Amino acid sequence: MYLSFKNKRIAQILSVLPNKEVLFEDEMENYNFTIAKSLKLKAAMGYNKRRIAEDGTTSSDLCIHGLEYLFNKDLLNKEEIDALILVTQTPDYIMPPTSNIIQGHFSLKQDMVCMDINQGCAGYVIGLMQSFMLLEQEAINKVVLLNADVLSPKVSKKDRNSNPLIGDAASVTVLEKTINHTEIVFSIKMNGEGAFALQIPAGGAKLPNNDQTAISEEDAHGNFRSKDHLVMKGDEVFNFVQSEVPPLILELLSQTHHDKEDIDYYMFHQPNKFMLQKLADKIGIARDKMPSNIVEEFGNSSGVTIPLNITHNLSNILPEKKLKLCLSGFGVGLTWGATIIDLDKDTYLNTINYKK
Amino acid sequence: MEQFKERLIDIFEVEEINDTDVIKQFEAWDSLTLLSIIATIDSEFGFQISASDFDKIETIADLLQFIENNKK
Repeated sequence: MYLSFKNKRIAQILSVLPNKEVLFEDEMENYNFTIAKSLKLKAAMGYNKRRIAEDGTTSSDLCIHGLEYLFNKDLLNKEEIDALILVTQTPDYIMPPTSNIIQGHFSLKQDMVCMDINQGCAGYVIGLMQSFMLLEQEAINKVVLLNADVLSPKVSKKDRNSNPLIGDAASVTVLEKTINHTEIVFSIKMNGEGAFALQIPAGGAKLPNNDQTAISEEDAHGNFRSKDHLVMKGDEVFNFVQSEVPPLILELLSQTHHDKEDIDYYMFHQPNKFMLQKLADKIGIARDKMPSNIVEEFGNSSGVTIPLNITHNLSNILPEKKLKLCLSGFGVGLTWGATIIDLDKDTYLNTINYKK
Repeated sequence: MEQFKERLIDIFEVEEINDTDVIKQFEAWDSLTLLSIIATIDSEFGFQISASDFDKIETIADLLQFIENNKK
């Protein structure tokens, strides 16, 4: 489905990283594999370091830290915020919405919209879409899109499929109206028939957490996890990405009358280096046009990898020239989406560390 | 197909492979070698093979036959 917006822009993106850094080598002995095999995996997938939240740090903590930074630096004014969207799979509570908690923390005005959205790897693209929809309203001039995931506590330390890549992070994106007429086009697709390719089986109403769901079991490949843990069918996810994302991108380019070369950078969600390089090859774009270094530096923080990819890799390039970007997220849902959007030279981009 | 066999030799880190070799008995067989095979088949033959297909594929000959039947 194509969605189109005009007279809107991204004004600021701030990424927030937890301080704790874990090295792949530190955790190799947790896995039920030889060291040689694990090192092969590290090399093939591009694993190295990752950032994880310390015990007790939640999605709201990371978001509040980011917002406080923007308020303190006078980069954002509390009174201006007309909507606060939080995209997360790890809310602080089942109820109330975490976006309301954050609104309350800062005593933001009551005349505003707060909304939590449950989305993962494609969550940033969905969050942008929702933010732009709100900006269509006369009453809404500035939207703060928060994106946070603290999934590392949900991954088994003995799961070599997911543990070496999982990272925690948050981002704050400020969106506003502008007189610039450049069209922003999204292409969004969903397939609920693949809903269980990525999931946390227990903890919701269908299967509440109990003693049984906490029991760790070995899978066919020697990984140990319980039903309380995140589980990913790696082969299904790989095949889904390789078969669905290239046509999504090529059709979006053609729909918006762009050639591949018109796009300065393809800023994609970061599952791992292996998958991104295969994706670049399949779409037919140079690998250096699609940065793939986020997992090795910080881990895969689900939807946050897109804003983190932008603030980490483009903050030195952007002040020189306006950039045309193709953003794409794909994963849990299954959900896959992309957008082509310009970043103005004066867009504020920064990456900061979380401090308690 | 010869090129694909060469790729399998790299993936399994062996000197040679034979049609009768049982895939899951290679020393290097794990989720990474599985993903490497899936990725190679996707780029070389243009179709998606899934982990569950390997429940029915026992030997190298079975794998080559599966590719013959499904390649695009």
